[in-house]
Amino acid sequence: MRLPPQPGEAIDRTTAFTFTWDGRSYPAYAGDTIASALAAAGVRVFSRSLKYHRPRGLLTADFHDPGCLVQVGDEPNVRAAHRRVEPGMTVRPQAVWPSLRWDVKSANQLVGKALTAGFYYKTFIKPRPLWPAYERVLRRFSPGGEVPAEPPDGRYDQRYAHPDVLVAGGGPAGLAAALAAAEAGLQVLLVDEQHELGGHLLWGDDGDRAALRDLRGAVAAADGIEVLTDAVVTGRYDGGRVVVLQRSAPGVVERLVKARPRVLVAAPGLIERPYVVAGNDLPGVLLSTAARRLVNRYAVRPGQRAVVLTANNSGDAAVGDLTRAGVDVRRVLDARRGDDVVRVRGRRGVRAVECSDGSTVACDLLVTAVGWTAPTSLLTMAGGRSRYLASAARFVPADLPDDVLAAGGIVGDGSTADLVAHGRAVGHEAARRARGLPPAHVADLEPGPHPELFHGRSNGIVDLAEDVSADDLRAAVAEGYDSIELVKRYTTATMGPTQGKLEAVNTIAVVAAATGRSIEETGTTTGRPPYVPVSLGVLAGRRYQPVRRSPMHTWHVEHGATPLVAGAWIRPDHYGDPAGEVCAVRQGVGIIDVTPLGKLALHGPDVADLLELLYVNRWRKLAVGSVRYGVMCTEDGVVLDDGVTGRLGEDRYLMTTTSSGATTVEHWVERWLQTERPHWQVHLVPMTDAYASINVAGPRSRELVGRLTDIDLAPEAFPYMRVRLGRVAGVADCVVWRIGFTGELSFELHVPAAFGQRVWEALLEVGADLGVRPFGVEAQRILRLEKGHLIVGQDTDGLTQAYGAGLDWAVKLDKDDFVGKPELAWQRARDDYLVLVGLQPVDPAVVPPESCQIIEDGQRIVGRVTSSRMSPTLDRAVCLGLVAARLSEPGTTVTVLLPDGRRVPVLVMPQLAHVDPEGVRLRG
Amino acid sequence: MTRPARYSAYGLARRGLTGAAWPPAWRAHELRPSYDVVIVGGGVHGLATAHYLAAKHGITNVALLERGYLGGGGSGRNTAIIRSNYLTPEGVRFYDRSLTLYESLAADLNFNVMFSQRGHLTLAHSDSALRTMRWRAEVNKLQGVDSELLDPAEIAGLVPHVDVSDQPRYPIVGGLFHPPGGIVRHDAVVWGYARAADANGVHLHQDTEVVGIDVVDGRVRGVRTNRGPIAAPVVVNCTAGWSSLVCELAGVEVPITTYPLQAAVTEPVRPFLDTVVVSGTLHVYVSQTDRGELVFGASVDPYPSYSTRGSLEFTEGVATHVLELMPALAKLRVLRQWAGLCDMTPDFSPIMGRTPVDGFYVDIGWGTYGFKAGPVAGETMAELVATGTTPELIAAFDLARFAEGRLVGERGAAAVGH
Amino acid sequence: MMLLTCPHCGARDAGEFDYVGERRDRPDVSRATEQEWRGYLYLRGNRADWTAELWHHRAGCERFLTVVRHLGTDEVRG
Repeated sequence: MRLPPQPGEAIDRTTAFTFTWDGRSYPAYAGDTIASALAAAGVRVFSRSLKYHRPRGLLTADFHDPGCLVQVGDEPNVRAAHRRVEPGMTVRPQAVWPSLRWDVKSANQLVGKALTAGFYYKTFIKPRPLWPAYERVLRRFSPGGEVPAEPPDGRYDQRYAHPDVLVAGGGPAGLAAALAAAEAGLQVLLVDEQHELGGHLLWGDDGDRAALRDLRGAVAAADGIEVLTDAVVTGRYDGGRVVVLQRSAPGVVERLVKARPRVLVAAPGLIERPYVVAGNDLPGVLLSTAARRLVNRYAVRPGQRAVVLTANNSGDAAVGDLTRAGVDVRRVLDARRGDDVVRVRGRRGVRAVECSDGSTVACDLLVTAVGWTAPTSLLTMAGGRSRYLASAARFVPADLPDDVLAAGGIVGDGSTADLVAHGRAVGHEAARRARGLPPAHVADLEPGPHPELFHGRSNGIVDLAEDVSADDLRAAVAEGYDSIELVKRYTTATMGPTQGKLEAVNTIAVVAAATGRSIEETGTTTGRPPYVPVSLGVLAGRRYQPVRRSPMHTWHVEHGATPLVAGAWIRPDHYGDPAGEVCAVRQGVGIIDVTPLGKLALHGPDVADLLELLYVNRWRKLAVGSVRYGVMCTEDGVVLDDGVTGRLGEDRYLMTTTSSGATTVEHWVERWLQTERPHWQVHLVPMTDAYASINVAGPRSRELVGRLTDIDLAPEAFPYMRVRLGRVAGVADCVVWRIGFTGELSFELHVPAAFGQRVWEALLEVGADLGVRPFGVEAQRILRLEKGHLIVGQDTDGLTQAYGAGLDWAVKLDKDDFVGKPELAWQRARDDYLVLVGLQPVDPAVVPPESCQIIEDGQRIVGRVTSSRMSPTLDRAVCLGLVAARLSEPGTTVTVLLPDGRRVPVLVMPQLAHVDPEGVRLRG
Repeated sequence: MTRPARYSAYGLARRGLTGAAWPPAWRAHELRPSYDVVIVGGGVHGLATAHYLAAKHGITNVALLERGYLGGGGSGRNTAIIRSNYLTPEGVRFYDRSLTLYESLAADLNFNVMFSQRGHLTLAHSDSALRTMRWRAEVNKLQGVDSELLDPAEIAGLVPHVDVSDQPRYPIVGGLFHPPGGIVRHDAVVWGYARAADANGVHLHQDTEVVGIDVVDGRVRGVRTNRGPIAAPVVVNCTAGWSSLVCELAGVEVPITTYPLQAAVTEPVRPFLDTVVVSGTLHVYVSQTDRGELVFGASVDPYPSYSTRGSLEFTEGVATHVLELMPALAKLRVLRQWAGLCDMTPDFSPIMGRTPVDGFYVDIGWGTYGFKAGPVAGETMAELVATGTTPELIAAFDLARFAEGRLVGERGAAAVGH
Repeated sequence: MMLLTCPHCGARDAGEFDYVGERRDRPDVSRATEQEWRGYLYLRGNRADWTAELWHHRAGCERFLTVVRHLGTDEVRG
């Protein structure tokens, strides 16, 4: 029921509109929350409770209200008492069937006594085959809204802020602290959870509003204060990182603001605690702050006839506000004098309150003001503690680290002037500490006396979000779940969307009473991030996912290449016909973009020593102008990477690595240089992106490259495994090496990256008459498999040591030292490992998929196929595989189990290469 | 042996009507000066070991020592995924036995552990991931374990919210589906074993920390605790997170590095995700509990630590990766995050069995896969303690393998192994 | 994440760095027994205590540096 205009109201009565709730249209004003608009229209039930499906209404009338989570469009679990309503908004109740008013699941109340905490652990045990059916029923009772099938509209983003001081909480203390810090010349970020600054002053009396006007005016006028409202600090992480969730930011759905302030000031105020008594979850039971908020901010009269249970001045003030709003306050129970509520009666809402004097007062509203919880979680996340103070009936912060301060209500009680004074003192101290001055003590605000009122003499709901009653907690203790952690896990108390803010202290108090321990002994309230639920969207931000592309990428796209995601790189898998591409290379000439190959320039007098140390083979005698294939192992002898390294000058080398191993090897080389051999003079420069790399392969590659370079390519002038420097297609400073991963005569061109596409196109242009065609990764894989060249990580795995990879010829155990040498020496003395061999299925048409197992005696695994393809060159299936050493003799027939269950014979070949094992073609 | 009050629907209804309380699931005891067996660690491994010692081998003079509360370590912090589709035959056999035990656990313990065999789907985003999956599928089939490769269309049918288009940064090229896998209520497993062990006479001592292990002439003689000494000829280290430190008390060196592993849970939403979804490339796994929450996990933190504070990087990473897989979930909110400690070994396999100290056994090094092995680890450790013979199922996991260079092949597998 | 102080770049988020491992000495390859070598490969202190570690400032100066960190609290000694 909407009241006439109130002096501090948040609504703008000049902007009225409608929205829908549960299929019906309702009026609202700008500034209304979903819940305030509905409450103004007389709606009292917003949801059904988790377990018993009891009707639930407003309780706290703020973000943390457990009874009004609703579905807004495609967004589940919206906090209806915080989210501002918008014209045309579609709001629905969650998890009710068939309707909020008639929810069949409320039948659970009838068997409620059997649905004690953890009841599901005690039933549905037998018969076992029925459990999946039981489970489906249980899942049907799960709470929450619905996720859409399609991605929602809108963007999320993230921002870094760099304040000196971050003030969490914009009530009187937070405002004053921000002002004091800003007056000291510091940059301040002031964050508040509500839509406007002011904290509890927003729903206060005339004096509060006057004080707030002054503070807000001063903040607006101050230099160096950035204000974020509808924003909340979600956590304080290691390294002083403070994270703010900004719920309404222009242009984005939500924004995450990250900062490392020098000092964090926590001024969150206090959270009002519900009272645990029978019927405390009925619609019509309100906290005093909620009643005041509804009346003063939203001009909503929350009921007709009220009983107020008060133990503090917030309850006393609520009596005044309610009376002024025309509510008939039938009874004020003063808990400070021992008055109490015994039970709240009603079914769909409050109908009467039983008082401790034996009387029953008919009413539709019970307002309670029984105590406060200090939200210390931000402080405990920062390394502080919370300490229980019985005289104030709440936990208070203790032992804060030097870069964290607490201000205002979280510390103690006082008038608005006291809170402002404390805030100013803390802000001043924050400024000092932010300047690096040694910490000085700030006089604490003393917490005032307050009676300990957690639960009454009847059984009420402790955790309204999880529907856990005090009796549930007591039963858990009686069953042996007698520590606070076990109680929480067994009953799920504090595990719901309120995250303990309303119920943690009451839970501790009930468990303490049940176990006979003190509150302090029973538990503390250590905070864990996030302080409020944070959307996946804002955590992910813009979802920046970098990719790497070669300088020729656009050409590939324009020429129909099928892209292949290869780690960080996007590469051409093929241009439509991989087998044709293979044939082009074997019979004429092809070119492939191999830019992702890792390339490292090594300079200095000690490079040869470095290569000797990191590769298993020998390097000291590598002549200028020569290249060599090398294999690296880790210290456990496992193959790490392979590639070709060439000596370009006296002290100048270029190392190549596999594409996927480029970064690993770069770091590996740096690590050995910096930590184990710091005296060596070697300078390493990563060159992967500096060169575009093109492999020209095929019997006519010499002819093709020869048309574009002044380098003498004649076989005697530029033999196999040599490197030359020169111009290609007019581009200077190219490195050309003659190597043969494909098994063909081939030249690998490394050209300055900016000229990559020019050289690529020149090759295709001048080679048109030679039939040159581009080939992709798939054709290269076939070519290398035909040639029997292994791929580290495919034909080896995380345990394959060098001798198992068929690299016996490379390992030089007579070197003094190299990485992995001891393990390889021991490996050679054993024969219990798998060995890489060439394999050919007896039936040439059968290509066993990669990873098919090689088996013996029906099902014992003795190896596996690591690479397999149909060879266009041989017109038969060819494979590489790892087999037990005893089966690696050429001519052995092994059995491969195909995925369809067939077992096929496969022959072990004399060598890895299927095509041109003698190497005539690549040496040509 | 005292039989506990049986749990059943009838019992619930009767006590609901009469208001009679259930008896405690377990009891507190004074420390005895000596026990036949002392088990260190009150998680699922220690409790299962205690249970099988008593239930299968009649060894009941057993103390289980827990520094905090039962199930407060890794057992209460994992994401409760059960599967047996490992890479090596020894791994598959071992975890398959565990899965079999899980299937009958509710009935065996008279405690509903809510094992939900909804299927476990691992997504492949690259040829090499698909290759590793086929490897696993083939090894699994040979061991009689149900695993099959799916194509993107089949994946879309199974998990409608997953984006199988070529739009994502790492498009989905296939998946490995393991129908018997699923999730379980982790706390219930802990409590079920605890209740059963207690009923058989095992003493469960909470808030009891081992501060020393007495070894004389290479033999274990007992432990010292914050509540006093206990003499025992057999001590079994079933801890996680602190296992290398407990071993150090006995003078045993183990190749373990301890890393935090984080997890997070969202607010509940109506059921929409029936299978467990894992992506190795994106380092994330997702399942939806019966309560409607989504549970997320990832790989271990990037550096070792005994600290269990959560990081923002974890939730940011999980969110990014989940939205890569299921972009419709952007408005779902993370409610809680937490961390547990994982004892990583060099070959991603546990260390089980004897140590150089006679009578000091270990069941440690469980990395990120300890929970799914709880039942079989308890069964085999109990057999080892009771018979003195190492069961074949765990022979490959002995401590000596590291010094002897016989690492287990699970290291061949991809990075995320959940 | 925690902050690490790189001697070349100053205090930076740990996310810029790669953890390499506990600092340890490589045995003399010519003399190491299997036990010594495998201890070097696999055994770590792993104590909840101050530990000297090798880190790599990957997203910064690319230097490898020693960080003394308390594995129980993640505090870093300057």
